[in-house]
Amino acid sequence: MIEQKNIDHLFRHQYGKMVSILTRIFGVQHLQLIEDAVQDTFISALKTWRNGMPENPEAWLTSAAKNRVIDLFRQTDSMNERHRKWTSGTATIALNELFLDTEIKDSQLRMIFAACNPRLKSQDQIAFALKTISGFSAKEIATALLLKEETVKKRLTRARKVIVSENLAFEIPAGADLQVRLERAMEVVYLIFNEGFHSTRSSQLVREDLCGEALRLCKLILSNPLTATADVQALFALCCFHSSRLRSKVDENNEALSLREQDRSLWYQPLIHLGFSVLEKAKQGRPGVYHIEAAIAAEHARAKTYEDTDWEHIIELYQKLNEWNPSPFHLLNLATCHLQLHAFDEASRLLNSIDEDDLEQRRYLYHGLWAEYYRMKGEKSAGIEAIDKALELVSNEAERKFLQKKRQKINAL
Amino acid sequence: MKDFMLIFIGDDYETLGMSPEQIQDRMGRWFAWSEKMNANGIKHDGDALLGHVTRITGTDRTRTDMASAEVKELVGGYYTVTVRDLDHAVEVAQDFPDYDLGSSVEIREVMVFDT
Repeated sequence: MIEQKNIDHLFRHQYGKMVSILTRIFGVQHLQLIEDAVQDTFISALKTWRNGMPENPEAWLTSAAKNRVIDLFRQTDSMNERHRKWTSGTATIALNELFLDTEIKDSQLRMIFAACNPRLKSQDQIAFALKTISGFSAKEIATALLLKEETVKKRLTRARKVIVSENLAFEIPAGADLQVRLERAMEVVYLIFNEGFHSTRSSQLVREDLCGEALRLCKLILSNPLTATADVQALFALCCFHSSRLRSKVDENNEALSLREQDRSLWYQPLIHLGFSVLEKAKQGRPGVYHIEAAIAAEHARAKTYEDTDWEHIIELYQKLNEWNPSPFHLLNLATCHLQLHAFDEASRLLNSIDEDDLEQRRYLYHGLWAEYYRMKGEKSAGIEAIDKALELVSNEAERKFLQKKRQKINAL
Repeated sequence: MKDFMLIFIGDDYETLGMSPEQIQDRMGRWFAWSEKMNANGIKHDGDALLGHVTRITGTDRTRTDMASAEVKELVGGYYTVTVRDLDHAVEVAQDFPDYDLGSSVEIREVMVFDT
């Protein structure tokens, strides 16, 4: 009998593997049929494994799914010569090669690049990647991304339509195209990760699932020497550092905890070590934005206590980040760092340089930081005014509680 | 000891739109049930049935083919268990994994002829 702990998400991941392999065999234009076939296969397994597992469950599933695809082709009469030849003869030997471990990874990588089709909106890319590579159902994606199931289904249909209509070769792009697609792939990984890492509205389990998937996708990209660039390594390191803090980010009441309040003994050390070792490798390549972000996360991971944090170094890194990729959020972070060093003039100069409208729905962060500024300077009434503005703008429940706690502190001045 | 047939009645899995994760979880529950019976020395055997139903009725042997969704009270599978008595069979049936999917279990004693 299979041990539960060894098979966490076995089916979910097997779904992604099988869809990728079968798409490689039968072509991207049959994606919908392939997904249906894989789904049917799991239902069959659920029924027939009742009296005992096959010796090699993965092999059973893959071969059953392949046969199911051929069945469905027969039913719809859409089987062409190329497909027919897979069912018998020497071609099946070549076919079996595709089920070797390295080839499975290769197929999944092709699927990642299909998902990162530049004609797709990033929100559609994320949904599509979670479905076809990570094996989430539309409902699970909806839960994870806090969307309506209908919305997710629409995104999936739209993505599939674009991918099928372009009828692109199901392959890892080459040359300049590779770089462009790889950038998109990293973005998708990072977006999925952030959905997990920053969403305090979802359950811990969902958040860990999403971060885990992002790490897994990133690892897949790293598994091929062509795509294992220094940028991807840096992104992987960044996700490792952040993931190590997942358990300490909220308290038992699901209230957000700031870096200062987090119990650092809960930080998962193996992930931090992994982050450092991958970041070392990444440093051998040309540094990019992810390198800096990873270096900032590394500084936090390195600090034994909040007071030990090397703010000067972090400020340097944020400045560089803002030079490369200007963003009001970097300025906000810079202001926060200067506040830690009690550099009030510099902090207020930075805050004044931000146009709060650029922060969109996260404008509350800006006013929250002003409130902190006044609290530290002991200016109660200005602090209350700022924190009330932040509270007016915040929509996230955990963040609201966080700001309310801060209000009490200011009120006690 | 007596033989009882546990007949599983409920919607076909195919119509429930379960995700791979949920299917795996569901399978784990079936394994757990089976293992528990093994651990308690209860002999059990049986099969799951495919969803397609072909019904023959009447003296003219009319044949009707139905998809699972068209059938009320669809039998999805069965186990035969060897237990002490009906109460024991009822106890075994407590661990049937699919009650939360709206499925139910019918327990029928297997008739034995004394020859």
